[in-house]
Amino acid sequence: MRQPPMPRGHAGAPGARRGDDLPPPETLWRESWRLFKRDRLAVLGACVLALLLVAALSGKALTEWVVVFDPAVVRLPEKFLPPLSFSSNAAVPPHDRPFGGVYLLGTDELGRDVFARMLQGSFVSLSIGFIAVGIALALGVVLGGLSGFYGNVKLGVVTVDTLIMRFTDVMLCFPTFFLILTVVALLPPSIYNIMVVIGLTGWMGTARFVRAEFLALRKQDFVLAATAIGAPDRRVIFSHMVPNAMAPVLVSATIGVATAILTESGLSFLGFGVQPPFATWGNILADGKGFIFDAPWLFFIPGFAIVMVVLAFNLVGEGLRESLNPKLRKR
Amino acid sequence: MRAFILRNVLQRLLLLFVVSILAHAVIHLAPGEPNAVDPSNPRMKPEDIAKIRAAFHLDEPLYAQYVWWMRDLLSGELKSFKDSQPVLGKIWRRFLNSLPLFVCATLLVWTLAFPTGIQAAVHRGAVYDRATTLAAYALISVPGFFLSYLVILWVVNTFGVPVIGLKTFGMERAAPLFQTMDRIWHLVIPSLMSALGGMAILSRYVRSQMLEVIGQDYVRTARAKGAAEDTVIYRHALRNALLPFVTMFGFLLPGLIGGSVIFEQIFAWPGLGRLGYEAILARDFPVILTLNFMAAALTLAGTFLSDVLYAVVDPRIRTGLQGDA
Amino acid sequence: MNLKRWLLLTPLLLTVVLLQSYFWVPTYETQTTGNPQRLVTYVEASSGDAEILNPILNADTASSNIVGFVFEGLLDLDENLNLRGRVATDWTISETASLLIEPSGRFPDGAEITGARVVKRVRAALMEDAGIELAANIRTMDVAPPADTTHTIPVPAEEGSAASQQREVTLTFHAPERVVFSLRRVDQDFFRHLAPIIGDRYLAHFPYERYVEFHESAGPAVKARIFAQLPERFPVAEHNPVIDFRLRRGVRFHDGHALTARDVKFTYDAIMNPKNLSPRTADFEPIKRVDVIDDYTVRVVYKRLFSPAINAWTMGILPAHLLDAGAMETEMRARGVSDAVREAFGMRDSRFNRHPVGSGRFRFVEWQSDEFIHLRRNDDYWEGPAEYREYYMRIVPDLLTQEMEFRSGAVDYYGAQPHQVVRYKNDDAYQSFSNLGFGYTYIGYNNRRPLFADPDVRRALGMALNVEDFVTYILYGEGERITGPYPPNTQWYDPAVAPLPYDPDAARALLEAGGWRRNADGWLEKDGKIFEFTLITNSGNPIRKNIMTIAQNAWSKIGVKCHTQYFEWAVFLKDFINTAEFDAVVLGWSMGIDPDLYQLWHSSQTGPRQLNFVGYRNPRADDLMVRLRREYNSDAQRTLARRLHRLIADEQPYTFLYAPLSTRVLDKKIVLVHKRGDGSESYEKIYPIPSGDITFHFHQWRKLELTPDF
Repeated sequence: MRQPPMPRGHAGAPGARRGDDLPPPETLWRESWRLFKRDRLAVLGACVLALLLVAALSGKALTEWVVVFDPAVVRLPEKFLPPLSFSSNAAVPPHDRPFGGVYLLGTDELGRDVFARMLQGSFVSLSIGFIAVGIALALGVVLGGLSGFYGNVKLGVVTVDTLIMRFTDVMLCFPTFFLILTVVALLPPSIYNIMVVIGLTGWMGTARFVRAEFLALRKQDFVLAATAIGAPDRRVIFSHMVPNAMAPVLVSATIGVATAILTESGLSFLGFGVQPPFATWGNILADGKGFIFDAPWLFFIPGFAIVMVVLAFNLVGEGLRESLNPKLRKR
Repeated sequence: MRAFILRNVLQRLLLLFVVSILAHAVIHLAPGEPNAVDPSNPRMKPEDIAKIRAAFHLDEPLYAQYVWWMRDLLSGELKSFKDSQPVLGKIWRRFLNSLPLFVCATLLVWTLAFPTGIQAAVHRGAVYDRATTLAAYALISVPGFFLSYLVILWVVNTFGVPVIGLKTFGMERAAPLFQTMDRIWHLVIPSLMSALGGMAILSRYVRSQMLEVIGQDYVRTARAKGAAEDTVIYRHALRNALLPFVTMFGFLLPGLIGGSVIFEQIFAWPGLGRLGYEAILARDFPVILTLNFMAAALTLAGTFLSDVLYAVVDPRIRTGLQGDA
Repeated sequence: MNLKRWLLLTPLLLTVVLLQSYFWVPTYETQTTGNPQRLVTYVEASSGDAEILNPILNADTASSNIVGFVFEGLLDLDENLNLRGRVATDWTISETASLLIEPSGRFPDGAEITGARVVKRVRAALMEDAGIELAANIRTMDVAPPADTTHTIPVPAEEGSAASQQREVTLTFHAPERVVFSLRRVDQDFFRHLAPIIGDRYLAHFPYERYVEFHESAGPAVKARIFAQLPERFPVAEHNPVIDFRLRRGVRFHDGHALTARDVKFTYDAIMNPKNLSPRTADFEPIKRVDVIDDYTVRVVYKRLFSPAINAWTMGILPAHLLDAGAMETEMRARGVSDAVREAFGMRDSRFNRHPVGSGRFRFVEWQSDEFIHLRRNDDYWEGPAEYREYYMRIVPDLLTQEMEFRSGAVDYYGAQPHQVVRYKNDDAYQSFSNLGFGYTYIGYNNRRPLFADPDVRRALGMALNVEDFVTYILYGEGERITGPYPPNTQWYDPAVAPLPYDPDAARALLEAGGWRRNADGWLEKDGKIFEFTLITNSGNPIRKNIMTIAQNAWSKIGVKCHTQYFEWAVFLKDFINTAEFDAVVLGWSMGIDPDLYQLWHSSQTGPRQLNFVGYRNPRADDLMVRLRREYNSDAQRTLARRLHRLIADEQPYTFLYAPLSTRVLDKKIVLVHKRGDGSESYEKIYPIPSGDITFHFHQWRKLELTPDF
């Protein structure tokens, strides 16, 4: 949400095109992986993300399917316990006690287990990021692809390209965060609205570079050859162009998830975030700020969790960018 | 060149028109009434509410409301639902408040990002580079309000000075110098906080731009000629790397409105972002719409500026070789 | 390298210039020591900005706070919540009661009724013992001649009516002669006392069709609806309470203009002017007319009995000379507004609302939107100037930064949240107060739903909740349990009503008696349906959120399945409350000081957008509420109100939870200053008045340089 827009045409600037002698795709991915492994920060980020994924999935499983950690149990006598405190047997009935009798990350103002809430929240936060980015990517790839491949097709007086690109321009005119805020504030609050709104306001960049990528790829020999032997459009697009345009999409997806998580926490701070019963890291953090003096862990734990995860996404994104960038690789 | 500018301006006016229709539709189609039509006010009778709705044209069809809005906006008589004040006047006053914060933050971003980015590029792969990379990503990854709270808590608890708002109250009799410094101090933390993210991104960008340029032939030539390393970096490389940044100035403009809601909210800064936020809360449609409209206009002005700059710098653009508008 | 040097030097220089400013900023200590200006400046923080600084237009807390300083009403409330005079020195309440004389009517003994005969017979009755009470009250009796009046009456809409339907009709009411009684005090049963003389049935039947003449033709359906309104519009027996206010001499607006009866009348007229869209019209609607008797006497005549109406006069008085038609014309001309705007130009558009001039203790100085509002004390105030010279209301939207500003000494007052109070109570630098306000929180059940139709079900749900838990854990003890519909610090609240006991077993037994049995999953079930409903509230209120969580938890223990949902305020009202499409709701009321509960509980107020959204209906309660708002004697009011309290508490249409204490923290350096005649001063710790308000003595507050040791 804070990224300033890059100058236009940067992603697809003519100077940044790959050379004519493009290596076969398999080698590209393998080589990228080799390069990625060299970037220790990115590998560290990837590890964090792997952990997070495990946490999110197990969180979903352990808080909803096999309830080991129940984030909803209210234990008023045990509120505001600091991390690593033990549940006292006298105050809480046995079936309400936390797993192992210990509150790993303490309890909140209602005596709910913060660890359980964070686990549950990890899944929700991640799904917001993934779904929002999924929507943005789908829109961006489709619109950008259409514009790049069928750009010259005329619809009445305007070409497809003009239509799509002008619409992209219209969308770029809105101040993103302000628009998200307006829409989320005016619509009934729901987690799906937030995902959709973040997604709908985030596809323009993708659309632009996918289009640029497609425009460039169309002039590549292997695409020209495929077209020349009469391969159908579908085949040209999906087996020749899409895989080659995927690298920047992947990078922007990774960074997009990070941005979406930040945006959600910003919305939560302003009171328009995801509504309970969904716990997200963003709203745990926003709720925790009122207790910063009285129960600081309610503020710091979700805060640092968000920083860690967003950082991991960004580092992985950066690692991918570097390893997938043929220009940097050649040196 | 004139044709280029003319076509660009016309295109953008058309875009602005579409944006305004879209924004208007989105806001008026969303559920909820302006707060002045307060359904929770026990003393308000349906007749009163109908009267207020009529006064705001809320009972008319959407296109008519759009025409009312545009007519009032262009004649300068658009009134806020919330307090019946002229919207343009409100926005102007807030703009004046936002300006110092914006200028200060921009100065910080642009002055600090270049040296850090250049150094990182020059020492690519060294400890300094990796440290700044990590720091930059950490700054990008911190939720702005989280970091701001940490800093506010630290400053207030350690130094015991106020940091919120534009100034300290009850100092009206103090010497002008004290008052000025007091105002500057109140500017420091919010502008630093809102600058950090941009600084991190820009310094990364400077770094990659420099790396790209350093690999170019003419830099290699300069080096081969035996020029001093500093000369190579700062005269030959930097000058060329700077070009794309010239055009970035255009994109700074819209940041005036959209980028600062959270920081203005935390630091009680009465700027444009907060005006927008309060308007959203009160469903003060004229203010929301006008702000959106202005943000769009600023964005378009920004892209226009950068396009023109690009065209000035790179004549190929003018002759129709550009990839997109 | 020049460029390199510049690139490094500029940021360095910038940073140094910015950071050195720290050394000039006053710390908590240096703000007060050696800065006498700060000691007579009061800085308060508010989360929201004021909207409009006009007593007849404002509707938000921040505005009313400022308006309360700048403007002054005829009356306000004293320490015990009784009315006391401000701009008015004193007032008397009397009544004019009038009776329409229908010539075809008959006395019980068969004689024809005329005005003169009514007067004669009443006078005769007064001579006898039976009329002693009446005799003391009746001041004069007169017969008024017949009179014709023309009225334009809106036709009440019928469900599903077409838009083209006639909106209003004009008619002339040929009123027959009337007997006008001037009474010393208001008596809602006055005509009942007259019943033995004029007959019981006389009042009930008045043949309106003989006295009404429609100006345009109207269909029978429209006429029927109009006739249905007439008994209320032109009552046979009319009560017109009259209040005479005597104004204080020498009260001046901040611009030096004297405040006179003309300003009072102007204020009333401005509220009723439809152009101004005043949210106060409902408060002043019961007024028939306002008469200026002389410069310092105003007579207010009411249309009907409505005792809470006098409270409306606590509203600030506007200066007529700055807002009347002439002043508006001048302003329009100065601003050069277009003709289109000119037509709709009302008081709402005036710049007065951002530069108010009143007669209160503080005068307005400056308003920077979303930053601060600055007031300065009014040295000309009739009760003498306040101790504080300057008043600032700062707008700091975020609660945490408000607290940080408070701790750094840049704000004098902090509305602490309950969980923070403990911390401040133990801190010597601050004084903290916890007092009852006029609000309470409840869980309301939609009484229309079959599930909640039975009072026993509602009682059982209430008994399953440990309300003490709410107070202890959600409010940290900063609340008081309540049992009924009044704030506990008013005299209307009946302290004798016992709260529902916390007893989940009894609750389950009660539900079992109603046919609810536990099923295999542990949920209560009846006729194949489990006991299941959705509890909703508005988002953005953590306390209500917690109440829902705890209630959900507690009810699940007795086998009641409760879902919870949150909605943004506007959506919440529009889709759920206004349409009554909800099962149960957590909400709060902020009450007035009068005992009138008509809007909240009367069965006529259950329609869409009305406040009895839970759909409570009880004829006995209806009757009590109607009598209550017609009663002018406060002892009688108390009796009625407490009866109403018991009735509602017995039926449990809500589960009444608690009245939160408002928790406030002040810098301890702020004290009450007592000035003695010889110019010396003594200081006293700030204390709340019986009604819980700490700012009652605000005009005597001041900040000391050092923390006092009381």
